[in-house]
Amino acid sequence: MSASTKRLFSQTGKYALLTVVLALFAGPLAWMLSTMLKTKAETYKAPPSLLPESLNFESFNRLFEVQPLMWRWIGNSFIISILVVIGVILSSSIVAYGFSRFSNKYKNRLFPIVLMTMMIPPSVMMIPSYVLFTKLHWVDTWLPLIVPAWLGGAYYIFLFRQFFMSIPHELDEATYLDGGNRWTVFSRVILPLSKPIVMTTVIFAFVNTWLDFLGPFLYIKNNEMFTLSVGLQLLIGQTSQDFPALAAGAFISIVPIGLLFLFAQRYIVEGVMLTGSKG
Amino acid sequence: MKNRLRRYDTSVFFLFIAPWIIGFTLFFLIPFGTSVFYAFTDARLPGAVDYDFIGFSNFQEMLNNPTFGKSLLNTLYFVGVGVPVVTAGMLLLGLLLNMNVKGIALYRTFYYLPTLVPIVATVIIWRLVFNSEFGILNAGLSVFGIGKTDWLGSEGLIKPVIILLQVWISGSGVLIFLAALKNVPKHLYEAVRIDGASRLRAFFTITLPMISPSILFVVIIQTMYNFQMFTEALLLTKGGPNYAAYTFVYNIYKSAFTDLQFSMAMAQSIFLFAIISLVTFVLMKLSNRFVYYEGEK
Repeated sequence: MSASTKRLFSQTGKYALLTVVLALFAGPLAWMLSTMLKTKAETYKAPPSLLPESLNFESFNRLFEVQPLMWRWIGNSFIISILVVIGVILSSSIVAYGFSRFSNKYKNRLFPIVLMTMMIPPSVMMIPSYVLFTKLHWVDTWLPLIVPAWLGGAYYIFLFRQFFMSIPHELDEATYLDGGNRWTVFSRVILPLSKPIVMTTVIFAFVNTWLDFLGPFLYIKNNEMFTLSVGLQLLIGQTSQDFPALAAGAFISIVPIGLLFLFAQRYIVEGVMLTGSKG
Repeated sequence: MKNRLRRYDTSVFFLFIAPWIIGFTLFFLIPFGTSVFYAFTDARLPGAVDYDFIGFSNFQEMLNNPTFGKSLLNTLYFVGVGVPVVTAGMLLLGLLLNMNVKGIALYRTFYYLPTLVPIVATVIIWRLVFNSEFGILNAGLSVFGIGKTDWLGSEGLIKPVIILLQVWISGSGVLIFLAALKNVPKHLYEAVRIDGASRLRAFFTITLPMISPSILFVVIIQTMYNFQMFTEALLLTKGGPNYAAYTFVYNIYKSAFTDLQFSMAMAQSIFLFAIISLVTFVLMKLSNRFVYYEGEK
């Protein structure tokens, strides 16, 4: 075998391998799409057919009929996610400025605590947080989901701080010479230079909030206040045998994140690299 | 003068980090402190005002809890089997996506997609795929002559199915490995190729040591995650069949919200915290021997 045929061979092998594994990973998503477009009767065929007989969007009608609150849950998820994003950007960037531009003994003692809180297993905090929110009378409101984001989440502080550290101090000095103070440096110099990390954080915080299940599941009991995730969970119980409607519900919950990912893949990838997780 | 300026600057520093100090105190210190306190009482409800100190009784009774042992064993299964399997899966996918072929970026996008699916949607999809009567998986397997399998209804299979689900949504770990693989200097491979080493050998002598810090990182994250396994088990089969996917955190949840024994749930949370801390510490210590950091002598 000549070198070039050998190469062609190994290239083909690589694509074959990639495609087989891809089928395993994308397969379940494709199955969701196919199920969503089938009629209810079609999904009870054994063996099941790979594709729907015709494109049928009845499942969406049934979905919104069984669960008229769907629109509301979608809206709730958007409102909560957006409020979290605003809070995260404001509070985390301010706190991160403190941890990256000051030098005093307190900073060196407090920052390791910020890092430590990143390592605390969330499930250990599940019961303590619930006890706290009960005492604050925050259970069954959105406050437990939103307020913590306005008070500086450790992950996002870390993300911002890493970025701020890479901005040269000469710019700060120049601003001080012009009569600026700490706040001017932060708002006029550091923040305008931080668009990339702001973008990453916006997307990251939005995705994490949209994906969050345990928070709304524990703290919200009133159906009308549900987020889409928790609402879908209720739906599984209500119509567990209507496969197309369930698939349609799953599809709806994926669409916003999917679109975001298409347009902002770069930022999501960056966020994962910097913090090592998606939440 | 200088001192006063410095003191002024320190107060400005505290102003900047004030949101975090408030958040940390309110959402961590206070709840954790009060809950540790509760663990030694017989408070049944989160807002209880009428309770007695009972010392370590909750911790003793925890061991007598009929589902405690089962939940601990299941969790240890997830840690002992799930962590190595998922980490190996992530590494293999990382290697696969690190191949130098045209269009690889598009493949990477598709592999990452499942990671962004909300967990409830993931569970819906898995129920559709793994449904024993109408699911695509059994239909596909029947082509190879494999008989109908009740994936979600079998005590022996439910834990492997959940571990497989973790591999499906492992995109974040894959990204970390991918970044680490890209950072391995190419000239190292050329050196061993001249020595006539095989690819497999190059993998074990160069790739693995060079990416060992990332492996440690992923193993720690995965270990913490699997110790806390709950949402998947809850949504997929409610911890069943017959408690086969009933995990430690599930037991905490049940103690608090079904049995209404918050102090007991808190005692279990402390127990879990101690185990996770201990295991993470041991992993870090052990890793000193295996993990290679560049620039270290």
